[in-house]
Amino acid sequence: MHIVIGGAFNGKKTYVKQRIKSTWFDGELPTAPQTGNVVITNLEKIVAKNLQREEQQVALEIAEQLMVLDKQCAQLILIVTDISRGIVPVDPLERQLRDTCGRLYQVLFKEAATITRVWYGIAETIKKGDGWQ
Amino acid sequence: MANNPWIFITGGVRSGKSQFAERCAKALKKQYESLVYVATGVAFDEEMTRRIAHHKRLREGEGWLTIERPTDFYLLREHIPERSVILWDCVTTWLGNECYEVSTDGMPAWQNEDLLQNRINQMFIELQMLHDAGHTLIVVSNEVLDAGIPNNEETYVYMKNLGRIHCEMVKRADVAIEMTYKATTFWKGATIFEKYMDRDWTRFSIFHDRTDS
Repeated sequence: MHIVIGGAFNGKKTYVKQRIKSTWFDGELPTAPQTGNVVITNLEKIVAKNLQREEQQVALEIAEQLMVLDKQCAQLILIVTDISRGIVPVDPLERQLRDTCGRLYQVLFKEAATITRVWYGIAETIKKGDGWQ
Repeated sequence: MANNPWIFITGGVRSGKSQFAERCAKALKKQYESLVYVATGVAFDEEMTRRIAHHKRLREGEGWLTIERPTDFYLLREHIPERSVILWDCVTTWLGNECYEVSTDGMPAWQNEDLLQNRINQMFIELQMLHDAGHTLIVVSNEVLDAGIPNNEETYVYMKNLGRIHCEMVKRADVAIEMTYKATTFWKGATIFEKYMDRDWTRFSIFHDRTDS
């Protein structure tokens, strides 16, 4: 499992597209079995469907599904938009989303072999394991 | 490498980026060169008037030629002295101004993506031309993309385009710096920057050149 993280519109997708051929999923997990490379973007959309339940449980469930997928497919790359650095949202559901995403990302960061931060197209490795590049 | 660097500086609010950029400009200026400040702010209310006055006071008596250019960068070139160090502060204000420029159909540019894209392309053409003509460029912008993507379309369009501009700016610039309360992180071109600068005042900086990673 590999994570590419960065602020919004920082060139994360372009960075991945330039380096690996994959099947892309936007805000959803694949329903059919995958054997090739898989990229999942906008994980927060998956989280957003599960805001009624306790955050840690939701985070662990989604992380578990991603870990299963990671074992099936060749390379799993998750593109994560950092949403943790702004003002606390007024809307309770938005707060819940931010908190649950945070929990999920903590689990995923622990599991990921590599983590790359992208700043306007420039990459910085913040966790270095067996790479996909 | 050209003799005139293109430097891109971003940072949060009050991170010291304007001050740092001005120090860069003064340090880079050669004797025969002019210091040009391209201002983007429009004094539409009392707060903005105060902010502009604050920046003006900081530059007073230092020989800056200030050019107010809130939009339409193609109008810039005729006002630039032959050899200049040009400081443009800042991209975020400029993009806001461009977003609200009203086109012939009466719509603000942010509602017409092609029009906004054209204006952005035009800005890059002008900057590239100024750089190719031998001017030193220092471009300042803000970090505003780390708090998620809003539902509001107006803000979404603004953020998307600002992100694209920053990516393109980093690509074209020789040096790219992120500032965090006066600490500098060099994402690109630290060695180039070091070569141009007096070490005395960069020794307090954090020197990470991440270009090679």
